[in-house]
Amino acid sequence: MISGKDLLERLLSSEAKGEMLTLFHKNPGLIDTVDGIGRRVGKSKEQIEVDVKDFVEMGILKAIKAGKLTLYSLNAQRDQEIQASLAEYFGGLKA
Amino acid sequence: MSTSARFWTGIDPLDKMLGGGFMRGDSVLIAGSAGTGKSTLCLQYLVQGAKEGEPGIYLTFEELPDQLYRDAANIGMDLRTLEREKKLKVICTSPDVMVEAEGVQAILEGPIAEINARRIAVDSLSHFSMFVKPEDMRLQVYRTVMFFKTKNLSSLLCWEAPQLTGQTFGVSEEGISFLTDCIVLLRYIEIESGIRRGIVVLKMRGSAHDKLLREYEITSTGIKVQAPFTEYEGLLAGSPTKRASEKFAELFTKASAGKK
Repeated sequence: MISGKDLLERLLSSEAKGEMLTLFHKNPGLIDTVDGIGRRVGKSKEQIEVDVKDFVEMGILKAIKAGKLTLYSLNAQRDQEIQASLAEYFGGLKA
Repeated sequence: MSTSARFWTGIDPLDKMLGGGFMRGDSVLIAGSAGTGKSTLCLQYLVQGAKEGEPGIYLTFEELPDQLYRDAANIGMDLRTLEREKKLKVICTSPDVMVEAEGVQAILEGPIAEINARRIAVDSLSHFSMFVKPEDMRLQVYRTVMFFKTKNLSSLLCWEAPQLTGQTFGVSEEGISFLTDCIVLLRYIEIESGIRRGIVVLKMRGSAHDKLLREYEITSTGIKVQAPFTEYEGLLAGSPTKRASEKFAELFTKASAGKK
């Protein structure tokens, strides 16, 4: 199992990841293509493609096929699990 | 309250104009230019549904849900709470997803089943035109409308009419007006150097409806429909003039005042 420290580092390993996390947390009903997500954070498809794939691998984003397109949305359940892990990690740091 | 045949909009005078509300299962075009209150009307319609146990979906292309939550809060609507209670779902996507062959199903089937949605608002259909040729627009709207009908959803479809005031009315350009069961027009009206807003039900299949153009305001609690513009004519043509009887009354009052 990945540690809280590693999880945090992986979540925030790029500026685009931080921006996408903010976007999806503020807008949990967002379901969009990589291109569409890019437009909403002011970045190109190429700039965020790798980070989106990493979020899918981590389970934060779900991928849905729609014809030729792949859409991404927040996986609320996995997101809560990650938040709980991070809360535990930060709690440990305080103690 | 809504009945087995009608959906209340949450705007009492508008429900009266519609002969008791929108017909269940109908697709309703809400046409108007920017700032006329199309989104506000849709929100009131969905929140009214939530109050009556008829969950709804707000599908937005341009405005992010975060912005919508804030704007709705400004008119006293707590959309986040309604979402937590599974009475509403705000979905945001790009219009090109909707024009993809399986896009509508991919986006909406899950949420419809999740909250057992009965109402939907699309803000706005005009965004399709960025990805669809004008000659294909009618087919695209038809596919969307038929998907909603198959799912027993009553829909409000916003349409951005380009004009602010004046004569043009762009709904019929792509033949979309024929695909919808009802058309409600929201528009700006210039009267005596002031901008006012008017609402009229242009078409309603299978139902009698009010034909009068009424004034409305967007207040801190949403849209408030008021009395008809009975003193004026030529409002939709963009050149309002006072009716002869009103003009006569005005001149008579002035003349009487002059004699005193």
